[in-house]
Amino acid sequence: MTPEELHDVGQKHREQDAKTPHHVRVCMAAGCMSQKSDEIKKTLEKAIKEKGASDPCKVKCVGCMGLCSAGPLVRVDTEGQDSVMYQNVTVDDSSEIVQSISDGKPVERLVCDTNVPFFAKQQKIVLENVGEIDPDSLEDYISVGGYSALGKALAEMSPAEVRSEVEASGLRGRGGAGFPTGLKWGMMARNESETKYIICNADEGDPGAFMDRAVLESDPHRILEGMALAAYATGANHGYVYIRAEYPLAIKRLKNAIRLAARAGLLGHHISGTRFSFQIEIRLGAGAFVCGEETALIASIEGKRGQPKPRPPFPAQSGLWGKPTCINNVETLANIAPIVNKGGAWFASIGTEKSKGTKVFALAGKINNTGLIEVPMGITLREIVFDIGGGIPDGLSFKAVQTGGPSGGCLPDRHLDMAVDYDNLRDAGSIMGSGGMIIMDEESNMVDVARFFMEFCMSESCGKCIPCRVGTYQMHNLLDRIAEGQGTHEDLALLEELCITVACTSLCGLGQTAPNPVLSTLRYFRNEYLDLIGEQHIPAFVGQEASQ
Amino acid sequence: MAWLTKNSGTMQIERREEPYLDDALKAKLEAEVIIRYPDRRAAMLPTLHAVQHQVGWLPLQALAEIGAFLGVAPSEVMDTASFYEEYWLEPKGKYVIWLCQSITCELLNRESLMQKLQAKLSIKPGQTTEDGKFTLMNVECLGSCGTAPCALVNETLHEDLTAENLDQILDALE
Ligand SMILES: Cc1cc2nc3c(=O)[nH]c(=O)nc-3n(C[C@H](O)[C@H](O)[C@H](O)COP(=O)(O)O)c2cc1C
Ligand code: FES
Repeated sequence: MTPEELHDVGQKHREQDAKTPHHVRVCMAAGCMSQKSDEIKKTLEKAIKEKGASDPCKVKCVGCMGLCSAGPLVRVDTEGQDSVMYQNVTVDDSSEIVQSISDGKPVERLVCDTNVPFFAKQQKIVLENVGEIDPDSLEDYISVGGYSALGKALAEMSPAEVRSEVEASGLRGRGGAGFPTGLKWGMMARNESETKYIICNADEGDPGAFMDRAVLESDPHRILEGMALAAYATGANHGYVYIRAEYPLAIKRLKNAIRLAARAGLLGHHISGTRFSFQIEIRLGAGAFVCGEETALIASIEGKRGQPKPRPPFPAQSGLWGKPTCINNVETLANIAPIVNKGGAWFASIGTEKSKGTKVFALAGKINNTGLIEVPMGITLREIVFDIGGGIPDGLSFKAVQTGGPSGGCLPDRHLDMAVDYDNLRDAGSIMGSGGMIIMDEESNMVDVARFFMEFCMSESCGKCIPCRVGTYQMHNLLDRIAEGQGTHEDLALLEELCITVACTSLCGLGQTAPNPVLSTLRYFRNEYLDLIGEQHIPAFVGQEASQ
Repeated sequence: MAWLTKNSGTMQIERREEPYLDDALKAKLEAEVIIRYPDRRAAMLPTLHAVQHQVGWLPLQALAEIGAFLGVAPSEVMDTASFYEEYWLEPKGKYVIWLCQSITCELLNRESLMQKLQAKLSIKPGQTTEDGKFTLMNVECLGSCGTAPCALVNETLHEDLTAENLDQILDALE
């Protein structure tokens, strides 16, 4: 499609939509879907049909609306009026909701107040379409400006210009390490080769993280557009999305999106009648966390065990089948289209000095509002936990927030007023990671948390390098002993020594960062270790305790 | 643990007459998968997925057939298949229950659900019920931490699990 055709499709779709004064949006992301939101949609449609409403009213499937803890969520949008959001909707509420539309009076008992900090404090770039559009409809995406960035780049910009916008934006990779995306693309562009690859890393494996899943399920075209822009900017012609097999719904939506985009000529040969060609394939992972590491991911696509390789050479120099390969995270790619459309300077105006833009976090654990949020970089942890997250349930007090999954750490309350960005988090002994935030309350036992993550790293270690394979096993043993109250001071000293050794000598990020949860809990909650070594024993893990 | 492999030096492979990787599947893989890659080995994971989808699991004979089909040694197929947790080198039940064992689910009491499942089905994680109906597995974070604890039953995600709704979910399965 040419930019003009895109514009026409979008225009037509918007006009079509405008003929329907009422839109009922039903969340169809995995969270609400598991609570039967698909049946709610059916009963809503049935109720509308039965009423034979005088005003046309359309039910629309959309992606995640964010507040997963209050799902299933339904939103009624009426032209010229404020939207009404309903929470905890059940099948039986359908006819009442439909009735309320013609009465013009919302169903009070289901209303979810959207004037609360959970919604008001967020700033949406990555998630701007999430919860608004139907992920299975290409026209819906186009009608909110989708693929216009690709059209613009192909028609008006050279690859170098696209790269320089991305560089100017200051965007850093959202997959964990925070490597500047513009730099990565520059490296990739400099390496001449007939074949180059773009890989979208959708292997989201960090415990506690579900941002990428929500984006893929709710706005899959955004990722395809980002990949196509990355390909254009770096001279690549093939793309792979490496996605976890545990995300069946995301896979289905992505496959459908690729099919629709290819049929519309937005992927494939000679896109928009230009010389630029780009195709995308989906590759399913098979349950190995380490395959999120870029060199392991490449090995897995090549059909081998997912074991990492030493770098350099970096994938941008020699990656998939020895060709230059650029690997970017889902959320990184979701930021590209807005950057191309609105310019790098606009993006760089959001956030802090060294961390630009917004970040999507997945709030989970002991917090009132669990779900998906997007906030500008530089917001404080306190605002996230207490304003947006609504604080800790059951009148308990906050103890720590875990960020960065098994590569990150636990931060105590004295860091609550810290501005969240890559550098501050690292200095505090954690990392940004992919964006999981697990909140722990006073009942959580930090030694058990450390042991938990170590167990994860131990079982996910690919076994190629000894420090990680043996080190995680031994550290887990020590943690086990300490947590069971049988540890000694020597055990603790040995544990600390091992942490340093494994961090310094492991082959890939998995081993290098595996000690982080231990180191950060030792730094902030050392007393809990000491208590366990000394006479007193605190009760074990909250989960186990409650189950006994 | 991904890095543990079996000692297969003295193992006898059980064989059956008809191949697991039949001609129809071969033709489909050639047309839809292999054609897209610069070499045949790259089709390893999709081929393993496809055979597993058709057969239900990956018998050793199937691994050998895949090796011949893709032009790699059977031992290399085994090497790759055994690395990934999602490939079944033993038969699995009609329904696989993947109960999330990650941190958020753990914080929100998944352990009691595990106990309950073990008692109800009389199996431990990794095992299959005698009637071949259920296999119980632990799995890492399913990305539904906002509505933890959760489990995947085959391809359907169930969230906000409690002892009661878990019962209902399992009882509703044929
Ligand atoms: C053990 C390990 C697991 C990783 N898992 C993921 C993952 O699930 N998703 C992801 O995007 N990046 C993951 N990464 C980071 C990638 O290696 C890589 O840095 C990233 O995909 C680059 O994309 P970005 O520059 O857009 O962040 C992982 C790294 C390590 C060491
Ligand atoms: S921890 Fe269970 S879904 Fe994330």
